[in-house]
Amino acid sequence: MGKQNTQTLTQTLTFNEKRLLIALNTKKEAGPGQLAEELATMEEAVIQYALSCAGKGLAAVDRAVAVAYRRTPEGETYAREGLPERQLLDSFERRIPMKELQQHPLARIGIGWMRKKGWVAIREGVVEKTGGAPPGEDEAALQDLTASEKGLGMLLKRGLVAEEESVAHTIRITPAGEALVAAGLDLSEEVGTLTREQLLSGEWKNLKLRRYSVATLPRKVFPGKIHPYQQLLGEMRRILLNMGFAEIYGDVVQSSFWNFDALFQPQDHPAREMQDTFFIDVRRACPEGWETVRDMHEAGGETSSTGWGGAWSRDIAEGCVLRTHTTGLTIKYLHDNPEPPVKAFSIGRAYRREAIDPTHTPEFEQLEGVVMDEGVTFRHLLGFLREFYRQMGFEDVRFRPGYFPYTEPSVEPEVWVDGLGWVELGGAGVFREEVTAANGLACPVLAWGLGISRLAMLRMNLKDLRLLYRSDVDWVREYPLSRAQATGGR
Amino acid sequence: MPIITLPYAYLETLVGTDRETILARIPMFGADIERIEEDHVDVEFFANRPDLYSTEGVARALRGFLDIETDLPVYEVAPSAIEFSVDPGLAGIRPYLGSAVIRNVHLDEDSIVSLMGLQEALHWAVGRGRKKVAIGIHDLARIAPPFRYIAADPKTSFVPLDFDREMTMTEILADHPKGRDYAHIVEPYPRYPLIVDAHDRALSFPPIINGELTRVTEATTDILLDTTGTDRRAVMTAVNIICTAFAETGATIESVHVDGEQMPSLAPSERTVSVAECRRLLGIDLAAADLAALLQRMRIGAVPDGTDRVRIRIPCYRADIMHDWDVFEDAAIAYGYDAIEPALPRTFTIGREHPVSRCMDLVRTLMVGLGFQEMMPFTLTNERVLFANMRRDADPATLRLMRPISEEQTVVRTTILPMLAEILQLNVHRELPMRLFAVGDVVQHATTHQHAAAVSMHPEADFSEIYAAADVLCRELGLASTIAESDDPAFIPGRRGDILVGDARFGVFGELHPGVLGAFELDQPTAALELDLRAVLQSPSRRDTP
Repeated sequence: MGKQNTQTLTQTLTFNEKRLLIALNTKKEAGPGQLAEELATMEEAVIQYALSCAGKGLAAVDRAVAVAYRRTPEGETYAREGLPERQLLDSFERRIPMKELQQHPLARIGIGWMRKKGWVAIREGVVEKTGGAPPGEDEAALQDLTASEKGLGMLLKRGLVAEEESVAHTIRITPAGEALVAAGLDLSEEVGTLTREQLLSGEWKNLKLRRYSVATLPRKVFPGKIHPYQQLLGEMRRILLNMGFAEIYGDVVQSSFWNFDALFQPQDHPAREMQDTFFIDVRRACPEGWETVRDMHEAGGETSSTGWGGAWSRDIAEGCVLRTHTTGLTIKYLHDNPEPPVKAFSIGRAYRREAIDPTHTPEFEQLEGVVMDEGVTFRHLLGFLREFYRQMGFEDVRFRPGYFPYTEPSVEPEVWVDGLGWVELGGAGVFREEVTAANGLACPVLAWGLGISRLAMLRMNLKDLRLLYRSDVDWVREYPLSRAQATGGR
Repeated sequence: MPIITLPYAYLETLVGTDRETILARIPMFGADIERIEEDHVDVEFFANRPDLYSTEGVARALRGFLDIETDLPVYEVAPSAIEFSVDPGLAGIRPYLGSAVIRNVHLDEDSIVSLMGLQEALHWAVGRGRKKVAIGIHDLARIAPPFRYIAADPKTSFVPLDFDREMTMTEILADHPKGRDYAHIVEPYPRYPLIVDAHDRALSFPPIINGELTRVTEATTDILLDTTGTDRRAVMTAVNIICTAFAETGATIESVHVDGEQMPSLAPSERTVSVAECRRLLGIDLAAADLAALLQRMRIGAVPDGTDRVRIRIPCYRADIMHDWDVFEDAAIAYGYDAIEPALPRTFTIGREHPVSRCMDLVRTLMVGLGFQEMMPFTLTNERVLFANMRRDADPATLRLMRPISEEQTVVRTTILPMLAEILQLNVHRELPMRLFAVGDVVQHATTHQHAAAVSMHPEADFSEIYAAADVLCRELGLASTIAESDDPAFIPGRRGDILVGDARFGVFGELHPGVLGAFELDQPTAALELDLRAVLQSPSRRDTP
């Protein structure tokens, strides 16, 4: 063993481990009891020190498992007073009526055993001895547990003797341990915890602080933590705030007027059927100026549009739904804030009447943003989209024609994801003039939206959307927040 | 949106180019390729373009987009002497009829599949499940004009398609598969729509089923088309789309006199659009001639008229063009979305957080500091979880869904704590302590506000622990709150407190009642709190809140 090596090894030894090695060096081999006495400590502690030394190759611990037998409390009683069947047999002469014998306190156990051992026969309610009843092997074993193996077995079965495993440790010193002791061990005491007094008095300078091993892993603790999905939502929110957008937050319950009609969704559109949307038994009056929305639907109002034709129903518009998108909030916000420039966004839950499965949930988060200003164009919409997705960490963005009922032109942005190729992520467009004009807006409105759960699946590699809402606590505990973060931003 | 199957061989013949060129450009035309197979490709077209729901219609559009054949396709309509009448008794039932005669039809396997698929897709997209429009195609050789569209007695009988015996219309609704599917459309009425010929033979029971009599086969050369419905514009759109798709296969179209009106016309509609307005919308620098050339590639007739105007003729099958901007989108597609250079505007605005979000973020910060992990449970739930499991009386302000999709989700949550108890239930075998919180929307009286809730489950969870947490929230959120003994049955008596601001109760905390723990199958003491964030946010008119 090199000197350097010895020194390092010595440093890792605790005070008690050193004492153990010194004690062991004189005996070479000993039991923990003997060592415990010598070191004035508990056997368990000695074994722990020894195992630690063994881990460093300085000692060896042999573990021998021995089986021992002892009488149970019931067995102890019978060892003094005889087995129940013996006591019972001795309680009468040749014969006794069964009824009388049953009065004996041990009758319940004893009668059966007497018959089983053939000591008595029972005829017509009378118990009669059959003759000799020599002491059995069980009785011998009850007195001396080593007397008969067969007898011991019988007693074990009757629960009169119990089996006990005992572990015997033997601790030996190894040649490496001997060499270390021979080289001399410093036995000045080590300190585990610094005290206030030691710090104030300066005594800490003279103390020998116990060393910890970095190889021993720490206990795993889980901090208080925001949900990984919330981390992603928060990140997107920050990106939009940084880009100068004002946040919109609003009611889950929306009138059909704001959710559909103000957005020029025709009243017979499939999305407006009970099949696809959660309707609720609540009515809300149309806002002042609703007539412009009606005129837009019926004949295109003052614009170049033909409108949808037919008669628009105010009654249908007053029915309420759980918002099917957050766009209803957006158009109301613009209606209330018609002066340009406006840049606004919202992140909120939207509701669709869909059964829950791994890729569908009836409620999900939606993000959307709008830009309203004089002179903004479709080309600027593409500019915003490219910048937003870049901030989200998607460097490559492309645009394809799309179709959304309230935008024209419409566009489907796609981002490049390694391993997946081009992935459609959201939809966008310029609000139709039928939408802006009906809501008193004079400037073009660029709009885009995004189902965030889809992004979460991509970002977090999720196979099952339900995990976001009915979370496995261990998943939340273990999932590193850094991975839920958008990776972009410049 | 409908997925249309395009067989390569048929498509290549109709377009006049190879499949590689077609497949490369389809995504930029405005469609999603769903599957590429050995002999065909499945493509999803948008809901606003029913004219693309047949191989013939797709080929027509692609010939323009790929510069093979541009400008307006012109369709001739020859007059015929065939008369069709509409019974005024249909006025409240299914009043509109569109019709045409299609001759020189040469159907083969590809065109039959394509045209049947077109009919189905139109039933879905334009017809709204046949309610708004239904389409019938008949072998004209088997029947004799004039034809009559009548409101018939439901006891009228004929042999429906795919059956070999006469059935009354009532029987058809009960026993024919199509009858069962679409009965709801006609059942409310005392008389049903029926189309008959000069000899009172039934052609069709719209929108349910045709008669077996006029079944179309590969031998059919002359077709009578009927479309019936409740919306005149949609009925005529369906006629135009089907007639022009047939015309693309070489068939000729003849008109029908419906109560004296000749139809179809298949004539384009005309508009004049402004080039400046197009530039303002798209942000692309275009002259009148450029715009005209782009539109011609979308099969729109376009002629410059001075420097700022383009006179356009829109083909009759383009039902989606309602507004000038619809035309400009076509120009952008022809220009190529990939050719438009994105740009950022100079719009200056300042980012602004909403007070509700700020408040919820603050709650998150505090709860995380207290060692709680966030959950984001559903807002849809049911009354068993919200009230019965919590030993609470049902809240009359609960918002119920009129047609829930499952028994598990019938109402919107009024509180969040029960949702956290459910999550504990799902995670009951996880390492303790489990300290969870959630913050988000609840709805009462159809109005949305926000709550925060937290649970702590472990062997030593108790009133003191959760009181301390509630105290942190009240202090840090700046509530002028007092605590009073609570009588909330969700908690153990003597181990529960109400958070009051003034006289109003805004929150509750304590040790969950063993009855609640039992209802959620929780086997450890659990302390919990819930706080109505109106205590922080309350102000009758919050800015920015629609």
